[in-house]
Amino acid sequence: MDITNMMKQDITQRVYDAIEKAKQLQPELNAVVTFVDVEEQLKQLGGIPSDAPLYGIPVVLKDNVNTKGVLTTASSRILSNYIPVYDAAICEKLKAAGAIIIAKASMDELGMGGTNLSAYTGWVHNPYDTERISGGSSGGSAVLCAADVSPLTIGTDTGDSIRKPAAYNGVIGVKPTYGRISRYGIIPYASSLDHVGYFTTTIQDAAKALRVLAGRDDRDMTSSYEPVPDYEALLDQDIKGKRIAIIDNVQEAIQDKAIVESFNDLTQKLEQRGAQIEHVRLNDDLLSVLLPTYFIIANAEATANHSNLDGIRYGVREDGDSVEEVMINSRTKGFSANIRKRFVIGSYSLFVENQDKLFRKAQKVRRLIVNEVKAVLDQYDIILTTAAPTIAPHPQDSVDEALSDTYLIAENHMIMGNFTGYPCMTMPCGFIEGMPIGIHMMAKPFAEQMLFNIGAAIEAETGLKGITAEVKA
Amino acid sequence: MNYETVIGIEIHCELKTKTKMFSGAPVSFGAVANSCVNEIDLGHPGTMPCVNKDAVRLAIMAATALHCEIDPLVKFDRKNYYYSDLPKGFQITQQFHPIGSGGYVEIETDAGKKQIRLNRIHMEEDTAKQFHNEEGTLIDFNRAGTPLVEIVSEADMRSGKEAAAYVEKLRSILNYLGVSDVKMEEGSMRCDVNISLREAGSTTFGVKTEIKNLNSIANVSKAVDYEVKRQKEILEQGGTIIQETRRFDEAQKATVSMRKKEGNVDYKYFPEPNIPPIRLATDWIADIQAHLPELPDQRKARYQNEYGLNDYDAGVLVNNRELAEFYDEVCAHTSEYKLAANWTIVELTAALNKLNAKPENNPCSPLHLAEMLQMIKEGTISSKQAKIVFEEIMQGKDPKQVVAEKGMKQMSDGDELLKLVNEVLDNNPKSIEDFKNGKDRAVGFLVGQVMKASKGTANPAMTNQLIKQELAKR
Repeated sequence: MDITNMMKQDITQRVYDAIEKAKQLQPELNAVVTFVDVEEQLKQLGGIPSDAPLYGIPVVLKDNVNTKGVLTTASSRILSNYIPVYDAAICEKLKAAGAIIIAKASMDELGMGGTNLSAYTGWVHNPYDTERISGGSSGGSAVLCAADVSPLTIGTDTGDSIRKPAAYNGVIGVKPTYGRISRYGIIPYASSLDHVGYFTTTIQDAAKALRVLAGRDDRDMTSSYEPVPDYEALLDQDIKGKRIAIIDNVQEAIQDKAIVESFNDLTQKLEQRGAQIEHVRLNDDLLSVLLPTYFIIANAEATANHSNLDGIRYGVREDGDSVEEVMINSRTKGFSANIRKRFVIGSYSLFVENQDKLFRKAQKVRRLIVNEVKAVLDQYDIILTTAAPTIAPHPQDSVDEALSDTYLIAENHMIMGNFTGYPCMTMPCGFIEGMPIGIHMMAKPFAEQMLFNIGAAIEAETGLKGITAEVKA
Repeated sequence: MNYETVIGIEIHCELKTKTKMFSGAPVSFGAVANSCVNEIDLGHPGTMPCVNKDAVRLAIMAATALHCEIDPLVKFDRKNYYYSDLPKGFQITQQFHPIGSGGYVEIETDAGKKQIRLNRIHMEEDTAKQFHNEEGTLIDFNRAGTPLVEIVSEADMRSGKEAAAYVEKLRSILNYLGVSDVKMEEGSMRCDVNISLREAGSTTFGVKTEIKNLNSIANVSKAVDYEVKRQKEILEQGGTIIQETRRFDEAQKATVSMRKKEGNVDYKYFPEPNIPPIRLATDWIADIQAHLPELPDQRKARYQNEYGLNDYDAGVLVNNRELAEFYDEVCAHTSEYKLAANWTIVELTAALNKLNAKPENNPCSPLHLAEMLQMIKEGTISSKQAKIVFEEIMQGKDPKQVVAEKGMKQMSDGDELLKLVNEVLDNNPKSIEDFKNGKDRAVGFLVGQVMKASKGTANPAMTNQLIKQELAKR
């Protein structure tokens, strides 16, 4: 149910219904880490104007969003007892808009993964087929939106971590421009790639939510002074004359014929609505190094970002005979093996003798990729691609890291949105074998309105506005 | 063999800001442990740095006074290492683009003036303070995140004296700028000295040792002298110097080894992604540079050129900023500059010592001292009387009132004094005779007798003149 319809219901009722539904589904989905007490929040609604955009709307936060006094684990053992002393900037924004935070959602450990299989509390199940994964790292948030628990759930996106699970779970996933939403209080993964975003089931809700969440925050020096428009009021699904670029060498990497057909079908419809569809190619070499470039930059930043997790001041402490030993023991037991591996890779690329050939080279390649994408967007309003090359896989099929084009390009092209910081959105465009598939759009910096407007046209074309899953127990 | 000593110095200096380098928590020395901290200082997950503009301003002031070239594009980097006093697991510093490059400090020793070149001055954040005891380690995070500048010299110093003069000069400059408390004993200024020896005439460097955390300028000199002697002995016995970190032990008056340096630690520096490069407005920089306070060298030159003080007096005043500021205030009320300098350097300093007070707690009003100096100049009171008046001024009294109360007016009335002189002459015929026989000493004796008769109020110069005049008549 979208926000507009939910507003028609009794406030207390809708909030407790949402909690009740999440609790009922928890055995099937395992999407919630912590349920948040709402009594006090409902009381505080009295101090907020009743026409606030999210007045009494139950929302869900990814568990890397700090909530004062409420357990925030980032789905990692080392933070499994961490109770923040402060609220993330977006919590303040959400509360001021009247939102009621009902739950903290599961994620890949510290955001470092794309499957949500690595959460300390176990893997998260897809509401359309609980045998399949949710995708990650914002899996819990995607699932709770898709299962109609909450019309707005918050996620973060470092390398498609909102957009991939949005595609797998048939919801809208928005990753706005870098700096559009404050990151203050979000447990980071890789600061230059991290974005705060969210999931909704309608474009209207997506437009409404961005206005609430966006805006300059002095605590985040990378946050932008760019004014925040009333996206919802400016929604316009007339896409006549809009210039849409299709990246052929991304589409060619997709193996699944049904997905290719679905995509081509949609582009034809957009053309019929007056959009100008054109085909472009990106440099093949750059496309093939997207993933390694990402891997180096993200892990290098992550190894520094998570150096504070040492068991000394907060988090799970493992004893030792010296302060150093406490740190070593806490980190060894606090992180899973996969995370430790990433830290080693990140450190390795930063060593003096390796920086030039790894970290700095990756930074240079990133700049080349940004230039390549920018050149396309100088000519077009959006770049349109398939979001994921497959439907949500089963856990055992989800870790195929073979260095094929399917993996290197089709699976990971959305990280161009993180390299550039340009606004991106995925949304459902159809179903295959009962599982949702999605398309992905990227626009010029701060052109979120363009994403919403074209999204509204697509929504009208697909008829998938407000679509949610009926979970079979 | 002849050895040349090569010394380079790194100085960390806390900047006098209201809040921390990257957080809004207050900076304060001596506050209750862990009371000046917020989530940023404790490195809590999700926190982000926000650059303190005032710290940048103070760093620009320092860089300007040290003749550095200012980089108007401010960038920060992460220095990664694990230590319990470093809450984030990295320190935010300026490895790749320091705010100031180059520059120099001019020092003066017995050997004359010399320029010590600087490599750089950069901004960074301080670490927490640790206390180790039997039960374990206690950490006070109040200091964590305090803004610092690190000033790195080139290896231009050649002796303990030069090293001490460099630190002293730098401290004085930063003190005059008001950018730091520069208290070595409290740690607001910390000094690490790198020392190596090499064969005289050689241009390559020998193996160096680093002496950490010297808490006074005297100890800089002592530590260097000891370390030079130690290294020399090792080299002369054919040994090799081990690259290590040492500290100066005051009790032993010796440097002792702290830890060996096993190769260079790799701090894996990389640009801080949460702080975008900040372009400083050129007019903002220019405005800061145009309004620098007077620096010690400028003040010394002013004292010599405008007030006619000698090099020594000017130097003594300038070396103590609070004393110099008092002196300037005195000079605002009198043009007796030399007299004011003498009284400030000698009498005031002695009086403060007696009170065990620092110049900043000086009870003497500069206006009162100036008024007293005017009275001396005009002959209203004698120098001897002035010492009594000064004691009262030091209690906060007005000199005019003291003079009135004590009936201290100097006898400068010609007729009155003439009468007294003739009385004294009449009573001392022997002295008149001595004078006629060519004994000039007799004049001094007679002046003394007049002073005695006047209870010290007679104007000495007038008395002298009148005695000579009257003697001639007899």
